[in-house]
Amino acid sequence: MIAIHQLHKRYGEFSAIQDVSLSIPSGAIYGIIGASGAGKSTLLRMMNLLERPDSGTVYVADQDLTQLSSRDLRKARKSIGMIFQHFHLVANKTVRDNVRVALELASYPKAQQLSRVEECLRFVGLEDMALKYPAELSGGQKQRVAIARALATNPSVLLCDEPTSSLDPQTTSEVLRVLQDINERFGITIVIVSHEMAVIKSICTHVTVLEQGRIYETLTHTPQGIQSPGTSSAYFVEQLKEGTADA
Amino acid sequence: MPDVLVQYQGEIIQSIGETFYMVGVSILFAVLIGLPVGTFLFLCRKGQLLENQLVFSTLNLLVNVTRSFPFLLLVVFLIPFTRLIIGTAIGTTAATVPLAIIAIAHYSRLVEQSLLDVPRGVLEAAVSMGASVREIITKFLYVEARSSLVMGLTTSIISFISYSTIMGVVGGGGIGDFAIRYGYQQFKTDLMTYMIIIMVILVQSIQFVGMSLARWLDKR
Repeated sequence: MIAIHQLHKRYGEFSAIQDVSLSIPSGAIYGIIGASGAGKSTLLRMMNLLERPDSGTVYVADQDLTQLSSRDLRKARKSIGMIFQHFHLVANKTVRDNVRVALELASYPKAQQLSRVEECLRFVGLEDMALKYPAELSGGQKQRVAIARALATNPSVLLCDEPTSSLDPQTTSEVLRVLQDINERFGITIVIVSHEMAVIKSICTHVTVLEQGRIYETLTHTPQGIQSPGTSSAYFVEQLKEGTADA
Repeated sequence: MPDVLVQYQGEIIQSIGETFYMVGVSILFAVLIGLPVGTFLFLCRKGQLLENQLVFSTLNLLVNVTRSFPFLLLVVFLIPFTRLIIGTAIGTTAATVPLAIIAIAHYSRLVEQSLLDVPRGVLEAAVSMGASVREIITKFLYVEARSSLVMGLTTSIISFISYSTIMGVVGGGGIGDFAIRYGYQQFKTDLMTYMIIIMVILVQSIQFVGMSLARWLDKR
């Protein structure tokens, strides 16, 4: 679904991403983990070109995003949903209008917008909150609205930038359950950036560990536990293996 | 009603009309031109969606220069320009030219400041949803900044009223001019006091309406 090849990104002297290549299979829940400053968010933000790489290619659904005109890029972004650590809802729009705006941008048929909004809100369990404003919601509810907004246009990929990092453990598992549900029911490929081991362990099928802008290790989560192709002693890799061995 | 007010009723009503006309034109230009100029000031800044150093610096300089003039000097300085587009530099309509120009400069700066307060993340979410610049402005930026835009306009309108009071120098009329001619130059202090009371009521009402509207629009 997503294929990244030899990606580089510098900010002045600082190399944020160095020679990163990875391939995310369709239907995966792909985790990217690493210490802060490792470049995980930068890498994620290049998957919809919020951040433009200095060199390298970013294929999403067989299209190289880096080669698209701005018009085609906008079109491509409509099938790549994204959610953020701080939700980024429009505070002056109701929950309903926050979701509806995604449909408006995608020129979704007007007559069906409301029923689609309702459907998405029901999916995240917020159908009763349609007329509330974000300020009246809890953090977990805001993130679910953001998920409904990202889902509304039937994207093939959902990018999640630290989706639970400003939530408490209880709401974190709520939000993760919704993400897992989306993946299973609609087959949407999910990419999650997080520094929280528990998040990655609980739902990811694949994990890439980033260190100083480079891929340290990529692992696949199987019923037998985390399978690592290489042998390494990195903290994150250790943590990942330990957890599944206990379980 | 006090006798002086009855005696000058006709002229008072006329000057109130002139003030409304001058301030009305100022508001119109503030919204029609000041709002887009302020939006470009914001969007062309470094790191923003339409980053463009040349456009930003040019607009920034124009707004700063216009606002640097003591307003009375701006009026005098603009006389040739006013004559060029209105045909005369004297009268109420001619007076609207410098007022419109200061209105654009004044409000565009407040618009820029309001837009700077919109959380960056909201615009980023809009970009990630595939919104065009026009859609980002109308569906996100203005929605999120609306109560602050209304408060800015309220502040601007009150400044426009103040600016309009000196338009007597080019025969623009208005309440301020009436108060000076009769109250100050003809020593009718009571008449001047009444005019000031009218202005205070006017400003209070505008402030009240503006603040109420802004509060109602603000769901943050």
